[in-house]
Amino acid sequence: MAMKKKRYALVLDSRKCINCKACAVACKAENQVPVGNTRNWINEARQGEYPKLRIDFEPEQCHHCEHPSCARVCPTGATWMRKDGVVLVNYDDCIGCRYCMVACPYDARYFHEESGTVHKCTLCSHRVDKGDLPACVETCPSKVRVFGDLEDPTSRVHELLATRRYRVKEPQTGNGPQLYYLL
Amino acid sequence: MHEFNWGLLIVVYLFLGGLSAGLFFAAGLANYLEVDGQPAYPRVAAMGALLAPWPVAIGSALLILDLGNWYRFYKLFTHFRWESPMSIGSYLLMMFTGVTFVYAYAWLPEAWRQQLFQKVPATWKQVHRLNVDLAPYRKVIAMVGFPFSIGVGIYTGVLLGAVSARPFWNTNLVAQMFLFSALSSGAAALLLAMVLDKRSPIQTHETKFLITLDIVFIVLELFIILPYLIHGQLSVLAVKQALWLILGGPYTVVFWVFFMGLGLLVPLGIEVSELAPSLLKGKAFHGDRRLALVASTLVLMGGFLLRYIFVYAGQVSSFHKMGMLH
Repeated sequence: MAMKKKRYALVLDSRKCINCKACAVACKAENQVPVGNTRNWINEARQGEYPKLRIDFEPEQCHHCEHPSCARVCPTGATWMRKDGVVLVNYDDCIGCRYCMVACPYDARYFHEESGTVHKCTLCSHRVDKGDLPACVETCPSKVRVFGDLEDPTSRVHELLATRRYRVKEPQTGNGPQLYYLL
Repeated sequence: MHEFNWGLLIVVYLFLGGLSAGLFFAAGLANYLEVDGQPAYPRVAAMGALLAPWPVAIGSALLILDLGNWYRFYKLFTHFRWESPMSIGSYLLMMFTGVTFVYAYAWLPEAWRQQLFQKVPATWKQVHRLNVDLAPYRKVIAMVGFPFSIGVGIYTGVLLGAVSARPFWNTNLVAQMFLFSALSSGAAALLLAMVLDKRSPIQTHETKFLITLDIVFIVLELFIILPYLIHGQLSVLAVKQALWLILGGPYTVVFWVFFMGLGLLVPLGIEVSELAPSLLKGKAFHGDRRLALVASTLVLMGGFLLRYIFVYAGQVSSFHKMGMLH
């Protein structure tokens, strides 16, 4: 039986974000991210002056792009894309040249000092492959994050993108980012 | 604050790689020029050939040391990825370094070569078979090396220019800018080396040749830098904001005063004022030793600073962070 094509993506309803940073903490614990580095983070944007003031929170991480520039520039092919769209680093082939970090428009990668290789969000592929949710998605108390397969018409991400307006960040870089922010 | 993923080692490497490309190019060119059937600049050709391998060898070593896992550098050569400028560049760099060493060997004075092989144990017969005079093949080796030297000169720019996420780099002009800067640095380094060589003082026709070469390359470089600035200003907002880094931002002084001024226009002025009387009024060319010393040192400093500015400013530029910088 032919396997159905998959395309994992995250849909983020960032208006629900309360900047509690539970996602960042969960990620750090799940993936043993060293102190000083993060695989996901929350951008804050302030607007206006008191008393007319607003602040927006916007969680971000690796966008698992359709055309990842990090994978394109990698001289050894250590950065690669799975068939389901997850962009990963093969740590055995990474020589630590950091070209991918320079080439990422979202600055989503960090240099792992201990191993001398570059690390990033894996979309918790080790959990997803077992049928679990990524740690950040599972822990988010205000349900900002929706994870799923865009190719599956019955999935929640598919439904959200079909019925809600959304944006992606910096589409002009041509990377085809796969973090969808609901408007 | 933005963290710099690429630091001073990369700057030094980009400079040294370009320097070798320029040295090889100038030396190879000098090898081809003749007057009345006699080589016109044999000493320039020899000096350039003997100097060319070292900067790129040191630069490549620095590049490897800069890796997170330096001992994994061999993986660069167990993969080939045509989409990655660094992958193409590694092969190019390896080939170029090889050619420069062969070319230097072809120019090694007979006595030096014999001295070198005396140190090799006599029982190592296979090694002693390498003790051949390659002098008749100098022109062939130079011709083989030209594309590689140009390639390395361009590649150091393409490495940066191919990164679409950094508007400061992502233009088709950076490659040419780095190439002409590399060629100019090579000519200047050759001039500096020959001026400093006390045993065989530089002759005026040699100074004139190298100064002329340098003027041509500096002018070409200027012809690239000006469109880079003008076109950037006429480009989309992200590029315009990236150029702010050198037009009012933190890299303005180092770009305009130290690179454009001291590293480009001042040496150009010195060299033109040296050459102009002989070129325009038919007067004899004198070639002041101290002026040549100053001009060539400044050109080398400028070449280094160009790479410094591009590596650092380029990493600060991005599509999403620039707004916060202002």
